[in-house]
Amino acid sequence: MASNAASRRDEDEVCPVCKSSRYLNPDMRFLINPECYHKMCESCVDRIFSSGPANCPVAGCRKTLRKNRFRKQTFEDIGVEREVDIRRRVMHILNRREEEFDSKRAYDDFLEQREDIIANLVSRIDVAKTEAQLQKYAADNMQSIRANQAIEAEEASSFQARMSLEQEEARLRRQAVRQEYETERREIQAGREDFLTRLASGSSTDAAAIAREGHKVLLKKSSARRSEEERIRQKQAALRLDNKRVSNLSTVEQAGAADTGLVKGLRKIKTPEPEKPYDPFMGYVPEKRDYYSLQSYYPSQYLDPIRNDARMLAGGYDLREYYSRTLLEAFAGLSCFVGEEISQRDAANTSKSTATEGASMAVEGGENTA
Amino acid sequence: MALSPFGSRSPSMTVHSPNTAIRLRATAAQNSSTGTASAAVSKPVQNGDRELTEQLNIDVRERYVKDRKVGEGTYAVVYVGHLRHDPSSLVAIKKIKVNAEYKDGLAMDAVREVKYLQELKHPNVIALHDVFSSKDQNLSLVLEFLPGGDLEMLIKDSDIQYGVADIKAWMGMLARGVWWCHENFVLHRDIKPNNLLIASDGEVKLADFGLARSFADPLFNMTHQVITRWYRPPELLYGARQYSGAVDIWSMGMVFAELLLRVPFVAGNTDLDQTSKICEAFGTPTEENWPGVSKLPYYIATDKAHLVPLQGRDFFMRQFPTAGPVGADLLMSMCALDPRKRSTAVQCLRHNWWTIEPRPTKNEDLPRKSGGTKKMGDDLTRRGGELDEGMFKSAARQLDFGMK
Repeated sequence: MASNAASRRDEDEVCPVCKSSRYLNPDMRFLINPECYHKMCESCVDRIFSSGPANCPVAGCRKTLRKNRFRKQTFEDIGVEREVDIRRRVMHILNRREEEFDSKRAYDDFLEQREDIIANLVSRIDVAKTEAQLQKYAADNMQSIRANQAIEAEEASSFQARMSLEQEEARLRRQAVRQEYETERREIQAGREDFLTRLASGSSTDAAAIAREGHKVLLKKSSARRSEEERIRQKQAALRLDNKRVSNLSTVEQAGAADTGLVKGLRKIKTPEPEKPYDPFMGYVPEKRDYYSLQSYYPSQYLDPIRNDARMLAGGYDLREYYSRTLLEAFAGLSCFVGEEISQRDAANTSKSTATEGASMAVEGGENTA
Repeated sequence: MALSPFGSRSPSMTVHSPNTAIRLRATAAQNSSTGTASAAVSKPVQNGDRELTEQLNIDVRERYVKDRKVGEGTYAVVYVGHLRHDPSSLVAIKKIKVNAEYKDGLAMDAVREVKYLQELKHPNVIALHDVFSSKDQNLSLVLEFLPGGDLEMLIKDSDIQYGVADIKAWMGMLARGVWWCHENFVLHRDIKPNNLLIASDGEVKLADFGLARSFADPLFNMTHQVITRWYRPPELLYGARQYSGAVDIWSMGMVFAELLLRVPFVAGNTDLDQTSKICEAFGTPTEENWPGVSKLPYYIATDKAHLVPLQGRDFFMRQFPTAGPVGADLLMSMCALDPRKRSTAVQCLRHNWWTIEPRPTKNEDLPRKSGGTKKMGDDLTRRGGELDEGMFKSAARQLDFGMK
């Protein structure tokens, strides 16, 4: 209806440039250029702009227009057309995604800011400044803009693919159901015919038996079919699930970018800390001796025979280990003050601490060795 | 190694309960200060004359719940359990069977295991949370639950592929565990791939301290009948009664070689066969390359004709190309015939193989395999020093009728 009304009004539409009306030229098409949104007919565009860029022929408009930028008008209201164009351009540049922001709040602020920019450009407030901002942002964030565009495109295409897949599936299902209905009908009919012929040929006593049998066969067939259907349905469900999983996998997390001047509240990119060199001891300090230093020789008559026992030495026995162990045990528990630690523990009233554990251990160790 | 010779006795630390010793003291203090009246009130009358230690034992026992059995051997039964108040905290409860061989008292293995595990607390040593006994005098050890299986399982599974970075990570963890034992003067004496259990986070932990003992005391002879044959060093095969941490290092070297080759490197059928295989592979021990070796009780001199010269670095590089020249050098230092020339655990960890490329794989990226709980059950029930290469033993393991 709307198009009808439009076409009726189009009757007396006149090209503002050449003044030819649709009444004379029913095939007339109007084109606009997003530079100034002045409407003119196709033949005017051809005439004026074929030989290269030229000024807009509308009086008072000095914009230089190019032919390749002329296009058909989508919206009847030129204001809407212009706003949509501006919106598309701005959103193309300010295409941050929600997951790139710290919080929902930051994302909402960003959306609001974007709307402000669009409103400014639409209503021609601070155009130069806003444009400059946009250009700067676009230049600074070329990479992230491009990445987000790619993601958007991919999302759109995957959505398309999913839609067409679903349609295809629905079509197949419909077809299967139709086919199934058809076979069922045919079978019932064949069964009935068979049943009738048998009744006709058999004697009257068999009649009841044949009737029962026929019924049973029918039941069996339908139950077999049902289980078959169930199987197919499960298979399809599994297939769908698989597809979903694959599509989930394909959505890639996009890492956030650094805070840029225009957009605030972006998630900070965590530059991974440089990996520390591998510590074979994992933080433990080998051969840490606080209270003594180990000598390589301790004179002792008691140990002298061992020093010369070739058999012991050949087995790998090492007296230095004995020295080390003896000294370690002798100095173990020094600087553990059990009383202090117990009072500390009572003060903190925490469940337990390693130090206390160690201290009580040391006490026990001492008792054992004593 | 700050002060105490023992890292810290771990048992009840990781689980939310105070140390037994502290509890004991606290309870005693409470009893003495408040008098017997309050004690009598707080406990039923029949418990009044129960000994304090007995009560403590019951307290510990009540803290755990057994869920299901995951393995049974001649020596022990292993259950998976959890803390009574926290069902998400899994533990393995190893219940030692009474009198497998020992008619009187506890099995040596159990005593050793408790004695040394409670003194060692390190990320690469299996944690002993608690010990308690049950009514029939069975000893139960509450151990860390390690569902990742063991290294043997990964070595043998041909579907699993691992690289030198993974080996480096595993060897690093093994070396740290061994180093910690030696730093605390404990010999493990049964290092082999199926005693290296894997935690859920991929950490390798040294388990089965049934053959462990403290060392460096010159007065006591030690037995040479320890360490599973394939991982047994030549000095033990020659019957040395005094040895050092070098025995564990040899086993570590054998594990390293096995990780690289995915088959045991020197696998003898008998002790004698093992000795000759070692001689063939690494060279014949002589007085030149191992002073004093001929004094060892079971040393058999080889005649000059069959003398295999000591293998040099190029042998290891040829045999273990995947390890790279530096890795081969580390392996060679672990496999020196003369225990005095073998690297110590600290020296191994200071080797520059750890710091060169490739960097050891992070724990979370290490290859893993499911079915580790069952394997842990099998591993913990095995008696120390046994090879389970029997013809039917592995078959029985494969015939798992869906018991899960």
